Amino acid sequence: MKFIRLRVANYRGITAAEVKFGPDGITLIQGPNEAGKTSLREAIGLLFEYLDNSRHRNVEAVKPVHRDEGPEIELQAESGPYAFTYFKRFLKRPETTLIITKPNPENHTGRKAHERADAILRETLDVDLWKALTIQQGDAIHQPDLARQTSLSAALDQAAGGRPTDPAEVGLFDKVRTEYLRYYTERGAERKELTDARTALTRSEEEASNIEQAIRSLDDDTERTASLQEELAQLKEQDDRLTQEVTAYTTSLAEIRDLEGALSTSRLKLQSAQQSEEAAHRDRDFRQALITRVAEADQEYKKINAESAMSVPVLEQAQRELKKTQVTFSQADEVRKLADKNAELRRADFDYYQNKLQLEQLGERKSRIDEARKNAAQAEKLLRCNKVTARVLESIEAAEKELLAAKAKLETGAPQVRLESLAECFMIIDGKDTTLSKGSERSLTVTSNLRLSIPKKLNIDVIAGASFEKLEKRVVDCQGELDCLCENASVVGPSEARQAYETRNEASRVAAAKTQIEKENLRDLTYEKLAEMLMGLEQTVPAYVGNRAKHPAICPDLESAEKEWKSSELTHRQAAHACELAHQTLDVARGVWNDHNTKHHQSRASLDLSSKHLIQARADLKRARENISDDGLEKALAQAVQVVASENAGVQCAETALRTKNPERVKALSETAKGSLQTTHNRRDAAQTELTVVQTRLKIHGEEGLYEKLHAAQTACERLMTDSASLHRRASSAKCLFETMREERVKVRRAYVAPLKEKIEQLGRLVFDDSFQVDISEELRITSRTLQNITVLFDSLSGGTREQLSLIFRSACSMIVSQNGGMPLILDDALGYTDHNRLRLMGAVLAKAAKECQIVIFTCVPDRYGNIGEATCISLR
Amino acid sequence: MIRFLHTSDWQLGMTRHFLSEGAQDRYSQARFDAIRAMGRIARDEKCQFMLVCGDVFESNQVDRKTVARALEALKDVPIPVFLLPGNHDPLNAASVYRSSTFNERKPDQVQVIETSAPIKIADGVEMVGSPWMSKRPVTNPITDAIKALVPAKGTIRICMGHGAVDTLTPDRHAAGTIAVATLDRAIGEGKVHFVALGDRHSLTKVGVGDRIWYSGTPESTDFGEVQSGYAQIVEVGEDRITTKPVQIGQWRFIERARVDLNAADDVEALRKSLEEIDNKDRTVIRLNLVGSLSLTLSGALQNHLTAAQDVFGAFDVRDEELLLVPDDTDFTNLGFSGFADATVQRLRNKIVDGGIAGTEAREALMLLLRLAREAV
Repeated sequence: MKFIRLRVANYRGITAAEVKFGPDGITLIQGPNEAGKTSLREAIGLLFEYLDNSRHRNVEAVKPVHRDEGPEIELQAESGPYAFTYFKRFLKRPETTLIITKPNPENHTGRKAHERADAILRETLDVDLWKALTIQQGDAIHQPDLARQTSLSAALDQAAGGRPTDPAEVGLFDKVRTEYLRYYTERGAERKELTDARTALTRSEEEASNIEQAIRSLDDDTERTASLQEELAQLKEQDDRLTQEVTAYTTSLAEIRDLEGALSTSRLKLQSAQQSEEAAHRDRDFRQALITRVAEADQEYKKINAESAMSVPVLEQAQRELKKTQVTFSQADEVRKLADKNAELRRADFDYYQNKLQLEQLGERKSRIDEARKNAAQAEKLLRCNKVTARVLESIEAAEKELLAAKAKLETGAPQVRLESLAECFMIIDGKDTTLSKGSERSLTVTSNLRLSIPKKLNIDVIAGASFEKLEKRVVDCQGELDCLCENASVVGPSEARQAYETRNEASRVAAAKTQIEKENLRDLTYEKLAEMLMGLEQTVPAYVGNRAKHPAICPDLESAEKEWKSSELTHRQAAHACELAHQTLDVARGVWNDHNTKHHQSRASLDLSSKHLIQARADLKRARENISDDGLEKALAQAVQVVASENAGVQCAETALRTKNPERVKALSETAKGSLQTTHNRRDAAQTELTVVQTRLKIHGEEGLYEKLHAAQTACERLMTDSASLHRRASSAKCLFETMREERVKVRRAYVAPLKEKIEQLGRLVFDDSFQVDISEELRITSRTLQNITVLFDSLSGGTREQLSLIFRSACSMIVSQNGGMPLILDDALGYTDHNRLRLMGAVLAKAAKECQIVIFTCVPDRYGNIGEATCISLR
Repeated sequence: MIRFLHTSDWQLGMTRHFLSEGAQDRYSQARFDAIRAMGRIARDEKCQFMLVCGDVFESNQVDRKTVARALEALKDVPIPVFLLPGNHDPLNAASVYRSSTFNERKPDQVQVIETSAPIKIADGVEMVGSPWMSKRPVTNPITDAIKALVPAKGTIRICMGHGAVDTLTPDRHAAGTIAVATLDRAIGEGKVHFVALGDRHSLTKVGVGDRIWYSGTPESTDFGEVQSGYAQIVEVGEDRITTKPVQIGQWRFIERARVDLNAADDVEALRKSLEEIDNKDRTVIRLNLVGSLSLTLSGALQNHLTAAQDVFGAFDVRDEELLLVPDDTDFTNLGFSGFADATVQRLRNKIVDGGIAGTEAREALMLLLRLAREAV
């Protein structure tokens, strides 16, 4: 597309203005601020966008100031094969004309003219991009805040939504997205409103369902009431019927009871007759038994009497034998007793000798123990007094050694005074008169101080030094310590201590030996037991001989006593054995006699008893016959049998009468009827109770207005369902619209990326170098520039570079709008941040772009565009 | 001759889901007002009593308030009123007529028919009712009631019944259906002189003569009722009978079975026809829309329907057969191009494909149109 001429009249502050663009390349329109540059650019947009009768605020905005005229815009242009002049007057006397001169002349007016112009644009241009660029040109590209520049992407959004001239407004896509976000989150999840609607509907449905259930229960109760009432009526009928049956059976049962009474009476009579018959039988049998018993008793008596007579001689023979064996036993027993006595004496003798020996031994053992105990007591006493233990002795000996050592040191370390007498000399040494003979020598050891005094002539004091005093003090200390130890041990000196120690050791040994001696002599006895035994023996042993019988004589010693004792024991055992045998024989004889004697006595007793029985039986029979004779008994029996037969016939008659009434059946039926009646009563009570419960329930719930509540709930439910459906429908439509539009938008963006990149890089290499590359985002923004393999984010580039890249970007856009001629690129004082060198290079860019699209530059600084090559310059006044 | 007012099917407590909250209140009140209106008419027409032939209440489980308000309205009726339990309010254990509210508030002149024993209303006038004792009786109670009757000599006998008659119901053999022949025969034999029926909501004569009638409901309840909203004044003697319908109802149910909408003129015509309906707040409208409209026209239609919805008692629109077909004019002047235009084309294609996605696409287009217009 190419602009040839633009005229505006009554447009904002412009009364009339006309610009004729250069036929090719760049048109540089120069003029001061407020000369109307921006208005001209804006006018082209209004011309193509709005109908002449539009009252859009963008149109209203260009109304002329202080004039009641309609703004006019006329553009002469070429686009593709078309050449046309397009005119519009807005607001006042609106008018549109389109005069096409090429390829075929056409004239249009009004709406048709607008539509034809629109069609020409669509035919020859990428209308979306063209509109977007028109929008984009609304912002001055050289503003310092490049971020505010309308991005191509946003411009495309607005252009697509039919909003080409007001970049500040929210685009259609944003509206669609806002609508979508009313229902869904950015991540596509449903918002609370949708879920709430669903929840509310569910709750409402539950409520309606609950009321429905309550109504169903009420209906059930209603039906149940009817069925219970019916059941109660049936039960009443049944009750009446059963009551009648029970009454009838009660009457029958009374009759049966009467018959049963009669039968019972007959049976009692029969029983009585039978008992009488049995009694008669018994009497007759008893008489027979009495007669038999007399005969048997007589026979028994005779038999026992014969047996008794035969037992007497046998008993006498046994008694004789018994006496004989008794004599034999007495003799044997006498011999045994003598042997026993002798053996006992001999045993005592042996024990005497034994005890005597033991007395001696025990006496010795006790003496040894007593001796040991006495010695031990003395030793312990000594040990208690003697304090010189091994350790004490060791301490004393150590102290003694220390003292001797200290003394030796004193001896060797003390100063010596040697006196050599030149003549006989009298002197006093330490107060002791001493006379030294001529030529004699004497050495004195000065332990502390020493006074040599020659009377009336001289006193010599020899005083030992400090070290000597220390040695002496040491001797004194050691002596003190030794004395102290000896005193503690209650000894005079070390020698006595050593002696005391020996004594102590000896005493300890004696004390220790006591235990051993006790153990050896006591053995398994205690001392007390030993003493007790000894005392017992001392009493018994000496008395034995005195108390002993004189004969036979005692054996002389232990050995012979033992021998005699064993011999007497043997004799005693033999006598005892003989005695035992005699005793056994006696027992046998006594047993035989006892048996015969017992039998004899039994025979006598049986005979007596049998005699008594016979007498008693004879008396009983006699008494019975006196009472009633044997014939009388037989007659009574025959009469009783006859009575029983008669009563038996009566009983059978009564039984027949009762059987006719079938009492079992009547009783069973009566019980059944009573049971059924009770069951009926139970059922009636249960039904009545249930009926009361159901009726109470009906009374309570029947007046709750459930029907209207249900309808209210259902209505609420239906409304919620409708609302929810409507809400979800709106949400789905918003989603459908948003997703469709987003996909289409992405497609368009992608379609622009590659050609734009190619064109930008082609132009950019004129400014930078051959390695120049850019990245274009799907949002159609330059995101980074790469130069010499170094990539820098767009936002990190300098202001000047960003301005240059933006201009290159727009030039590229203008070039790709149309396959043939692009569209005019309108620049409003661009390149304010570009340095002189870059201005020159950017001039080359514009010149190259101008070969493919028309470039119109509005500027108040024409010098800035001194390097743009061939251009048409127009001055705007 | 005896003169009385015959009515039935008051259906007190009836609710209609399609009515808005305010409309439902008006609708309910209209039914109570109808009782008072019939009371006034009966008095003016010198009726001796009023027969209500069943379904006085919509259900036995109506709210206490409904019962109380009904009895309050009945207090204003100055003549004896006989209420017959019908299939909606049978005299069962849960019967509204046995509720404490009913029995405590029942005016003296009101009597519930509890058995089919003849009731002497006046000298020489007898009334035989046939109350429904359960919701699902094996035979209609009137059948047994008539069977038990002997010819009424010297007495005018009126029979009250409730239920569908076999000549008017498609399910002739359903339990509880009344055989018209039985009624005609009873009239012919002189057992009965007039049969006052309830159940059918339209005023309808039944049988060969002029002595069997449905009074219809005094206040319309649904679409499809032919002559509802009436009661009738009956004057009956052994040899003569006259009936006079009296309009009572205030509500109308209007259904337009087919409204063709294809062009702007159709939409305009519908608007005008709705506009011309009077007494809108007591009118229930149902429209069945058929045809196809562009999105723009659909928008206009929606505006008219929304406006109508605000003024009518209830407004039920069924538009399942109304197609919304976007056309080029819908998006003219919106200046859509690029991806917006592509979006429109894709959605239009989806509409052509139909199905749920088509419906969704149609709604999406409507939304797009609204958003675009908001933007202008």
